[in-house]
Amino acid sequence: MGVILEVKNLTKKFGGLTAVNDFSFEIQRGEFIGLIGPNGAGKTTVFNLISGFEKPNAGSIRFDGMDITGLKPFQIVNLGLVRTFQLVRSFHYMSVLDNVSVACLSPRGKKAAEKVGIDQYASRILSEVGLIDKARFPPVILPHGDLRRLEIGKAAGTNPQILLLDEPFSGLSYEEQEHIHALIRRLSNEGVTIFITGHVLRELMNLVPRVIAMHQGKVITDGPPQEVANHKLVLEAYLGRGGVFA
Amino acid sequence: MPKKIRRKLSDAVSGSKNFFLGIPRATRNLYKEIPHQVKSFKEWIFTFRGSLTILCIIGTILIPLITMDDYITTILISFLIFSIFAASWDLLAGFTGQTSFGHSVFFGVGAYVAAAFVKMAGLPWFFSMIIGAVVAVLVGLIVGIPCLRLKGPYLALGTMAFSLILFNLFMSGELKDILGSTEGISGLPAMSEDLIITFLYILIIMIISFVILIIIIKSNIGTIFKAIRDDESAADASGINTTKYKLIAFMISGFFAGIAGSLFSLNSRAVNPSVFLALYSFYAIVMVALGGLATISGSVLGAFVYWVILNELFKPLGMWGTVFLFFPTLISAIILVIMIRFAEQGILKPALEHLREFYDFLLGR
Repeated sequence: MGVILEVKNLTKKFGGLTAVNDFSFEIQRGEFIGLIGPNGAGKTTVFNLISGFEKPNAGSIRFDGMDITGLKPFQIVNLGLVRTFQLVRSFHYMSVLDNVSVACLSPRGKKAAEKVGIDQYASRILSEVGLIDKARFPPVILPHGDLRRLEIGKAAGTNPQILLLDEPFSGLSYEEQEHIHALIRRLSNEGVTIFITGHVLRELMNLVPRVIAMHQGKVITDGPPQEVANHKLVLEAYLGRGGVFA
Repeated sequence: MPKKIRRKLSDAVSGSKNFFLGIPRATRNLYKEIPHQVKSFKEWIFTFRGSLTILCIIGTILIPLITMDDYITTILISFLIFSIFAASWDLLAGFTGQTSFGHSVFFGVGAYVAAAFVKMAGLPWFFSMIIGAVVAVLVGLIVGIPCLRLKGPYLALGTMAFSLILFNLFMSGELKDILGSTEGISGLPAMSEDLIITFLYILIIMIISFVILIIIIKSNIGTIFKAIRDDESAADASGINTTKYKLIAFMISGFFAGIAGSLFSLNSRAVNPSVFLALYSFYAIVMVALGGLATISGSVLGAFVYWVILNELFKPLGMWGTVFLFFPTLISAIILVIMIRFAEQGILKPALEHLREFYDFLLGR
């Protein structure tokens, strides 16, 4: 146990807009935690900052007791902090198997795949995410739900300690959502710390025991989903201040 | 929630024997059958591609031996050299997505260095060729490092600038004593007394280069190259050090382009600054586009079609009179445009498919 990810006073400005403003939180090892907020709250920016795709203007990020602020994305991945993208980014002209193999070829993935071999290891991950029968297809012809599963498979290929899932449910049918739910739960049961975003509360409610709510780049509240959902500021953020609906 | 899905889900969560995440468990064993590769050279010869490759190589060897025509042999030699050059460009642009328009830099550096070592140091051609290629790798590093920050058209322009810089450097009169200015280096000894022997040397080098290139693209490095081409940030998010692998691609590509350049100068027994012209980069690009991007073996077909068929077949037309001098170029340009219009993926894949049907027909399948 212990703190695996510690974010302190994170700030990111895009010109005059402060996308993330003095953002701080901690995640315990093995925790399953959600990050919610209305559109444009800065959830994806927080992920980009943590995973190294963008450099923060101020603040620090400590992962596993090590300062990772300013490291390059691939270095962070090889430490065990992996993220997925909101808009699925697969390698379009390679087979589904090769998509996962690339992740297994990273230094960290290689270490995990050493015993069974890259191809076997990647196929094993594919069979776990349920794409083994499509291993030879290029991702361009897969439906959106399969691409989401592939995205998680790619992240799993690097043998992550903590997985940052950026809106894994957006644009999916109910059945597909249930598949992803089961998959994420399984990863969590295996001991992977999971940090997940979503802008629809209902999706996350049943899934996570703890939620951080953010609005306009700031933490509003932090706690169990029921508590967060009834929090006054959260309702205001989602529905507006007028109190017509709330 | 429908009952069926719920049952599947509960199976998934509880880890039932017949289902895993809603997928019948039997399919999980599929992964054992996935890696299917040809295991030995013997096996490969009898596959469709293998037998076709062997036939093509035998055909290429037989043409100069039967005709005993020096002109035809010379054309075939340059075809072989340019196919190595085109394949090296294909590795960089087609597989790694780093579209370089300054590939003549590697070609020219290889050509100059090999020529210089043969002429000044009196080294045998083979060692000069290797030295030329190694220096081209170093140049690949020098070009690669600043160009790695560039993407797409900017990378193309950046690399092209390098070829212009080198062209003007080698052309300049002030540096005539060192770089030879417009005269370049001439009067190199021939690679071999007999042109056919030279041809065979180059053929062997070309085959070895292609085998190495194909091994590289089929290996793990090749997978990473393709990932960088398809989506660089996604490769980054998969834990791949993209900068390192892009540099490796520049170096490998530079090595083979250097070999092609060295062979070019050693074969023509002279070299001048025109090897740095963008024209040579465009030769590689046209040949790869004709054969098919990201195929490696397509560049052989592309080089053959462009260099041997389009360039040579219509040459007699130009001899009708001065009015017709532009005819060969015009016709080959028109054919080129038509080919690229109707075969966007290059002509290798459709050609192989049709040949495959014929092959199956011959075997009575």
